[in-house]
Amino acid sequence: MFRTRCQPRPGWQQLAAEFGFHFHTMYGEPYWDESAYYQFTLRQIEDDLEDPTGELHQMCLHVVDKVVQDDALMRRFAIPERHWDKVRRSWMQRDPSLYSRLDLVYGGNGPAKLLENNADTPTSLYESGFWQWLWLENLVDNSMLPRQADQFNSLQEKLINRFGDIAAHYQIQQMHFACCKDTDEDRGTVQYLQDCAQSAGVQSDFVFIEDIGLSDNGFFTDLENRPITDCFKLYPWEFMLREEFADALDGAEANWVEPLWKSIVSNKALLPLLWQYFPEHPNLLPSYFADDKPSSLDGKWIKKPLFSREGANISLLENGNETMLSEGPYGEEGFIIQAWHPLPKFEDNYTLIGSWLVDDQPAGISVREDTSSVTQDLSRYLPHIIV
Amino acid sequence: MTQQKRTKHINLRQMRKAFALKPLAVGIAGVFATACADDRQDARVYTSLDECSRDFPDAIARCEAAYETAVEEAARTSPRFGSEYDCEYEFGPNQCRRVETNNGSFFMPFMAGFMVSQLLSPNRYYSQPLYTSYSPYSSFRSRWVTADGYVFDGDIRKRNYRVRPDVYKPKPTVTRTMSRGGFGSSVRAKSSWGSSSRSGGWGG
Repeated sequence: MFRTRCQPRPGWQQLAAEFGFHFHTMYGEPYWDESAYYQFTLRQIEDDLEDPTGELHQMCLHVVDKVVQDDALMRRFAIPERHWDKVRRSWMQRDPSLYSRLDLVYGGNGPAKLLENNADTPTSLYESGFWQWLWLENLVDNSMLPRQADQFNSLQEKLINRFGDIAAHYQIQQMHFACCKDTDEDRGTVQYLQDCAQSAGVQSDFVFIEDIGLSDNGFFTDLENRPITDCFKLYPWEFMLREEFADALDGAEANWVEPLWKSIVSNKALLPLLWQYFPEHPNLLPSYFADDKPSSLDGKWIKKPLFSREGANISLLENGNETMLSEGPYGEEGFIIQAWHPLPKFEDNYTLIGSWLVDDQPAGISVREDTSSVTQDLSRYLPHIIV
Repeated sequence: MTQQKRTKHINLRQMRKAFALKPLAVGIAGVFATACADDRQDARVYTSLDECSRDFPDAIARCEAAYETAVEEAARTSPRFGSEYDCEYEFGPNQCRRVETNNGSFFMPFMAGFMVSQLLSPNRYYSQPLYTSYSPYSSFRSRWVTADGYVFDGDIRKRNYRVRPDVYKPKPTVTRTMSRGGFGSSVRAKSSWGSSSRSGGWGG
């Protein structure tokens, strides 16, 4: 695994505009960064990332199966009790999932370590599935990279196939797609999924989360009063289940992607349970609930809320002292601790691997860098190749 | 040689947003092609009312109704473009017409044919408008394509298809929306802490 500097494609911003990639620069900071790329060997990809990703996912499903059968664990995961039946049902029925992203610490040697599982609302999908794919095509076409250069990235192909599976499962030809207002990045992610759905023959209609309505006969509606019967939502279940329309979920009979059982996988309470069921697994970091940790803890630990986004509300525990690393609005539902594991450093950058799954199939990676060792949402996205 | 680890092919034309088809809605009268299922029906593409009438000399009124349905659907659901250039880039020279509405004008391609299925069914027949492209830049060139961008296999000389009727799961009827805004409140609450975080998004 190397970081190699390279020439950005002349006029790539124009190309981005043509393809509707509008969030390559955000808040005045570069987000898409093609002034360098990461290079992996096929062995690193297959043995160290792809296979562990598939295995970690199966381990997560094992935890889901335990949690839904245990009231105490459902409470531990801070799932509101009045929604337990729905969560359980979605798992028992095996409501189909679309995708997930595991955040892994990996620097080219040794086992990759799972930091967390973005199983409900992962982003950076468009730039992974399409934009870095196009980057590689362009560089190979211009002989800037060898023709045999490859990329671990079958996301688009798998997403399209998965939409076909989901449409067949629910016997549908149309879905709604939803995200929140005022975010180009989320809208771009959802548009990409709409494109994939359309390629699978599924018609897509868009509605903002905030615009979803409730009809007199209990169905969710879009702005044109059409019923929402099948919906992809880029909006976390932990929020939805605490909002006004949560109690309408039962009557509305909508099928959701991601399904409700993903609220267990995307919850950081997953991490201590993984460690409990699979202790010393090479791809796991030791983890405990913060209020149930061993009395003697050596070394550095990271404390995270059960629910949080973008690295918010994280603290460092060391020798009994707690140092806040990031602020945020989360934490009322409880915390977990996870053994601190340094991110690998390439030049002045700390690097994090996002490892994608479509349903249960490993489907590619994304590489993000930050100048801070706690990766925030300010990180940059770099393409990668396999040689 | 080992297997390629990346997506084998991406249709760049479809990914290009500047020229992408932007359907407003898809007609309920649509028929849908698929590779599976036993309930597929024979469907035939006609490029004129006369062609249909020749096939069904005893049901000319039905041909006329199917044609009218398709024309109405086309007016409602046809791909729309902001400029003639964009429309012709996708559908070819002189293949687009200007449409004036209260909200301004746009360009849409001419209906090139209509697909009919179960025309003689006592209950319900299906009819939908089809388009084709004469543009060398388009993936729709010489293919039959629906308003929402579904491209049928074979070129425009192929007129007979097996299609699945769009009748799988009837949508519930909604008469009135009582309230909106019951989802999304956490975003406002969590956004208010105003950190250095640059994103208002809730993806992870």
